[in-house]
Amino acid sequence: MFPQFGATADTLSKASTIMFRIGTDAHLYDDPEDVNIAPLLDSKFDSEKCEALKRLLALIAQGFDVSNFFPQVVKNVASHSLEVKKLVYLYLLHYAQKRPNEALLSINSFQKDLGDTNPLVRAWALRTMAGIRLHAIAPLVLVAVGKCARDPSVYVRKCAATALPKLHDLRLEELSSTIEEIVGTLLTDNSPAVVGAAAAAFSSVCPNNYSLIGKNYKRLCTILPDVEEWGQIVLIGILLRYAIARHGLVRESMMFHLHSKEHSSSENDDSDVHSTVGKVGIDPSKKYDSELASMISRCYIEGPDDYLSRSSYSNRVSLAFSGAKFTSCKNNEDVKILLQCTSPLFWSNNSAVVLAAAGVHWIMAPRDNIQRIVKPLLFLLRSSRSSNYVVLCNIQVFAKATPYLFASHFENFFILSTDSYQTKALKLEILCTISTDSSIASILKEFQDYIRDPDRKFAADAVAAVGLCALQLPKMASTCLEGLLALTRQDSFTSDVRTSEEEAGVLVQAIMSIKMIIKQDPPSHEKVIVQLVRNLDSIKVPAARAIIIWMVGEYSKVGEIIPKMLLTVLKYIAWSFASESSETKLQTLNTVAKVLSNSRGENLETLQKIARYVLELAECDMNYVVRGRGCFFRKLLSCHLGSKKLEDEVITSPENEGLLNVLSEHMFHEQAIQQSPVPINYRVYLPGSLSQIVLHAAPGYEPLPKPCTILHDADTEADVSEQDGSGSFTGSLDEGSGSYNGSDHSVTSGGNTESGESGSSNEDENIQDPLIQISDESHLLPAASADLEELMSKRDLETWLDDQPSLPNSSIHKESKVPRSARISIKDIEKRVRPKTYELLDPANGNGMKVDYTFSSDVSNISPHVVTIQATFKNCSIETISNIVLKHEDSTTKPSDCSESSSQDDVPALVPMQEITSLEPGQATTETIHVRFHHHLLPLKLVIYFNGKSFPVKLRPDIGYFVKPLPMDVEVFRDKESHLPGMFECTRSCIFKGHVDDLNKEKGDHTFSKDKFLVVCESIALTMLSNANLFLVSVDMPIAAKHDDASGLCLRFSSEILSNSVPCLITVTAEGICSEPLNVAVKVNCEETVFGLNLLNRIVNFLS
Amino acid sequence: QTKLLLFPLSSSCSASFHSSGETQIVSEQAIQREETMLQCIFLLSDSGEVMLEKQLTGNRVDRSICVWFWDQLLSHGDSFKQQPVIASPTHYLFQVVREGITFLACTQVEMPPLMAIEFLCRVADVLSDYLEGLNEDVIKDNFIIVYELLDEMMDNGHPLTTEPNILREMIAPPNIVSKMLSVVTGNSSNVSETLPGATSSCVPWRTTDIKYANNEVYVDLVEEMDAIINRDGILVKCEVFGEVQVNSHITGVPDLALSFVNPSVLDDVRFHPCVRYRPWESYQILSFVPPDGQFKLMSYRFRVRKLKSIPLYVKPQITSDGGSSRISVMVGIRNDPGKAIDSISVQFQLPSCVSSTDLTANHGVVNVLSNKVPTYVRSYEVVLKLILLSYCV
Repeated sequence: MFPQFGATADTLSKASTIMFRIGTDAHLYDDPEDVNIAPLLDSKFDSEKCEALKRLLALIAQGFDVSNFFPQVVKNVASHSLEVKKLVYLYLLHYAQKRPNEALLSINSFQKDLGDTNPLVRAWALRTMAGIRLHAIAPLVLVAVGKCARDPSVYVRKCAATALPKLHDLRLEELSSTIEEIVGTLLTDNSPAVVGAAAAAFSSVCPNNYSLIGKNYKRLCTILPDVEEWGQIVLIGILLRYAIARHGLVRESMMFHLHSKEHSSSENDDSDVHSTVGKVGIDPSKKYDSELASMISRCYIEGPDDYLSRSSYSNRVSLAFSGAKFTSCKNNEDVKILLQCTSPLFWSNNSAVVLAAAGVHWIMAPRDNIQRIVKPLLFLLRSSRSSNYVVLCNIQVFAKATPYLFASHFENFFILSTDSYQTKALKLEILCTISTDSSIASILKEFQDYIRDPDRKFAADAVAAVGLCALQLPKMASTCLEGLLALTRQDSFTSDVRTSEEEAGVLVQAIMSIKMIIKQDPPSHEKVIVQLVRNLDSIKVPAARAIIIWMVGEYSKVGEIIPKMLLTVLKYIAWSFASESSETKLQTLNTVAKVLSNSRGENLETLQKIARYVLELAECDMNYVVRGRGCFFRKLLSCHLGSKKLEDEVITSPENEGLLNVLSEHMFHEQAIQQSPVPINYRVYLPGSLSQIVLHAAPGYEPLPKPCTILHDADTEADVSEQDGSGSFTGSLDEGSGSYNGSDHSVTSGGNTESGESGSSNEDENIQDPLIQISDESHLLPAASADLEELMSKRDLETWLDDQPSLPNSSIHKESKVPRSARISIKDIEKRVRPKTYELLDPANGNGMKVDYTFSSDVSNISPHVVTIQATFKNCSIETISNIVLKHEDSTTKPSDCSESSSQDDVPALVPMQEITSLEPGQATTETIHVRFHHHLLPLKLVIYFNGKSFPVKLRPDIGYFVKPLPMDVEVFRDKESHLPGMFECTRSCIFKGHVDDLNKEKGDHTFSKDKFLVVCESIALTMLSNANLFLVSVDMPIAAKHDDASGLCLRFSSEILSNSVPCLITVTAEGICSEPLNVAVKVNCEETVFGLNLLNRIVNFLS
Repeated sequence: QTKLLLFPLSSSCSASFHSSGETQIVSEQAIQREETMLQCIFLLSDSGEVMLEKQLTGNRVDRSICVWFWDQLLSHGDSFKQQPVIASPTHYLFQVVREGITFLACTQVEMPPLMAIEFLCRVADVLSDYLEGLNEDVIKDNFIIVYELLDEMMDNGHPLTTEPNILREMIAPPNIVSKMLSVVTGNSSNVSETLPGATSSCVPWRTTDIKYANNEVYVDLVEEMDAIINRDGILVKCEVFGEVQVNSHITGVPDLALSFVNPSVLDDVRFHPCVRYRPWESYQILSFVPPDGQFKLMSYRFRVRKLKSIPLYVKPQITSDGGSSRISVMVGIRNDPGKAIDSISVQFQLPSCVSSTDLTANHGVVNVLSNKVPTYVRSYEVVLKLILLSYCV
């Protein structure tokens, strides 16, 4: 009417919003692209950069892809403004995986930030660096994490812990052992905040590495209340699993009790529900409970899917914890301390913590004390509506197994008007489960109110719940029946007016509940049946009518009254047959047939008439199911229907008649069969788990570990190591390495198969076992050897100063202390250097063509990026192979795709190889191939063409040949090394065993015995030179205190990276006794940290 | 077997409230599955628009999950809205709805669901605390702060810093001064340059260098009472939930103790992390180093067994004549508690068959909330008369 007023009001409200929004980022969100973002990013003002970044984030928030700004954004990572940094990090994390190559550009800045004095900057840099998840920089991140794990700032250490799972996600096998080491270190941290984060890392990195927990179990327990809340949740789970795996279930606990109850059923002092159930004979509810409960405990341990899938039910029961061992919480300190330290957590403000703690007590606490989980759980119902539902789901399981726990708290499960439908349904079910004689009166009263609820679906549920209550407490059956009957009557009055589907649902449910109750004890409820039947006329809902009619047939002989009124009822239902729905028709047919076959003499004629009438109607029915049923009954009951029609029937022989009689007998009169208890197929998952809520095993769900699966030896060892640190460690290390002798041998002997891969897995296993303080030792080692070096260096200098001019030609140094070593010449060692052969094409796959390759130490003259490879083509077939050529997989794509610098563009991935025109059977030829790998870790895809066919193959790079020897002397080496400290230096340790075999061999033939040291040196040098293209700078021998103590043995190698001539220095330091496996620390100093780390990993890989 | 054939209904009874867990998650990236807990958080407006997405892991969750979610919501209605844990075809979703804003978190692996829900609640709390309320506009206007907060609160799917006091020091909340400053100077940094000192101390909820001229602590007891009264006016259940809210302004690092006259009436308690468990265990004394400013020290619960102790009574009365009925609700004070009772509000829901109402109150105001207004028109009319009596003593 007054549009202008409307407009004013509108503008006014707009104006007020604008006023309110001044100074916020509203305009950025609403209109992120109203200015050109790109120039802002290049601006020199932080504020403009900020604005641009905010606009980008706004676009991200709205779901646009703005990754095309990536290069410009990355440039800003070096900004000094923390706000710009934060915004850049937010952007980077969002897109890094999409643009891995550009993301690499930010690494240097992160490296710089990691050395910042501000812990916040360090932490952010670490978080982001780990968060961008690139395989290429994973080793670099690992080193950074390792450094940050020893950072003075708690916050940074915490971030280091959270970075570990990010690294683990990359699934780099060679890193996993180091990651676990760091987890172990962080678990022992002093600050509870760090321990919490470390626990989270543990559970995602190595959840089954219980030895890490075993070492710190007691400390972790005592620190638990101080850990921050999110860490508590995870840590509780870890400790519980450890305690079960180490000690097994607790004998006094609910789990054990539930299990044993099955066998000794006399013990039911705890459940007032059961003791008051006065039924003689089989007590169904009791049986039910104990079965359910024992199932729960087994589900926890085996996982419901395993457990339920077992073939037969009896089989399940018989397999009762055959392997399970039990402990007592009275004399088990570990269990005791766990329970002690989790109990204050019931007071936590965080509902997840409370539930986790309750889970521990549920499984481990003695059942006398289990009562204490009840109140905290009930308090949780108060926390928030969402968590309400989850808590109820868990309570439901607890209540099913031990109804008495919650019996006295039934009021807490009364429905509130604000509850959601799911919550209401859960509460109803819990109420049914926990109802007792004392509480049932109030519960039923509540239920009566629920039945009036406007939500009829819920009302129907409430009706069903009444039925369930009556089943559980037979004493209440008559009361319940009365109420339900009233319901059917009352509904029948209104059913004309309100015939909505939901209303009908309530009625049907009511009659179903009545039916269920009657089934328990039909004779005593005869009157109820009669009343129902009387109501039949007023009940219009087909399903409800069907049930009542079924009951007429089923209980036609029960009691006194029903047989008398039977005939009238039958007449009535026959009369109304035509107007019924098909569902009711079917039941009418059933009833008539049942009654007819039951009848003996009296009223037979009338019955037959009724039956014939009904059957005739049925056979003309529209619904084919009804027709079919009618025909079937006519045949089946032919003898009962009277002799008139008998001659029409096909089946008339007396035997058939007898058979039919038997058949109908069986169909209609086998009432007495006691139904065997239905196997309970609830899926029960651990309390507090997601799987318990969604009722299927979510990916990653793990049931509790099998009780007592940790060997005691492992644990005692851990205990010892707790008391006296290093002493026991060397022992365990030796033990570990000794057991891996065999596998190690296969690597060093250089098999023809893909030894690169197998080697890495071996190495992985090697490290995994004794673990933990390896890293600490490795950090100690170089320091120790450095001292020695200082002692030695002068001597070295003095002795070798004269020789040095000739050094560039020679590659090995001899230790003056061992005169015999002087005899080892360059040629000697070079001859023995045997580069490893890898298989490119298997003759089985390649039509008899075998292609092997070795990395050659020759440096290619084509381009510095090119690696030279000797490929051997061998014809293993019986026919001649012709026109062999090796090409890049996709020669059409430009190789510049993956390259970072343009200088590489002109070099093809594979320098075209000369075609081998033909190869006779058995003939072999060797070709030199020049290959440029895109990345020193990623394999190159090639195709071999011959005989007109093509075979795709993968050429795996060996980082050891991405370097070339860089001759230098010790002085230069030391000088260069001193220029590459800190971030450019990385260290790892491993166990070297290659020399042990050599020594043993020496022992075998006594002809001439070499010095043990020499053998060790040779062995190490040989292994190094056979696997990487290096230059041996020097070999420093220790000034041995003992004759076979190899500690301090130090070999230096130098090389430079092919592509950019950056020097790469490698120092190998050994420790240990000559005749035994040595503990070797490898140190790589290289400006290219990523490369250096990968090289280090490779070296450790082939050394161990 | 024959039984079942003849009477198929008998097998289906009593199964009505079992949600069957048939839906199996088919993970799209089964091979690349990550071990991290939460993968992504979405903030949805009440119209289903995705206002913000924060990817927490490398495995990005596509927005289409929100479309799926909203479609389900529209087709299933309220019951879906109230489901906190949802198994979608690709992810498990956790939802928390606060003031019309839906906080949606996704995961693909097993994790404690309460942890996710509790975290989302925490996010909602922190946001509404920062932005002084929650609605679509306020989130969009301050999306940068929301991003920064989410980034700080969660790292790689695991909660990192959730303590509001520390967050406040790391990321400054928007206030009038900073808004004006940013308008004038065009420069606004709400990111702290240094790490709060509290992160390194053993009391991470409190910064160490606080100075006040006056040292004061205010303690408020806020109690809520839940009661169920049946039709006959008989109290079925009554529980009191209390919160001890403390506002502390004290210099340095104080160590406070608070004791109750009769702690045994408390059925159950839950504490702020600053409360030490040991003293409570042995002496029922609250011993704590308080965070600075406002915080919830503890919450407690106790059951009331006597009807007398309810200060109010509510008496509904329904009369019906022909097409219209009359409901009158009487609210009054049962026995004089000695204190004024004010701001009483009575809420009730009318059944859907009501077509029009005429509500009056002899004291106070009547509001008909939009979603409670009946939309369902039947052939016969019911006119409701409401007489709302409320006393202010």
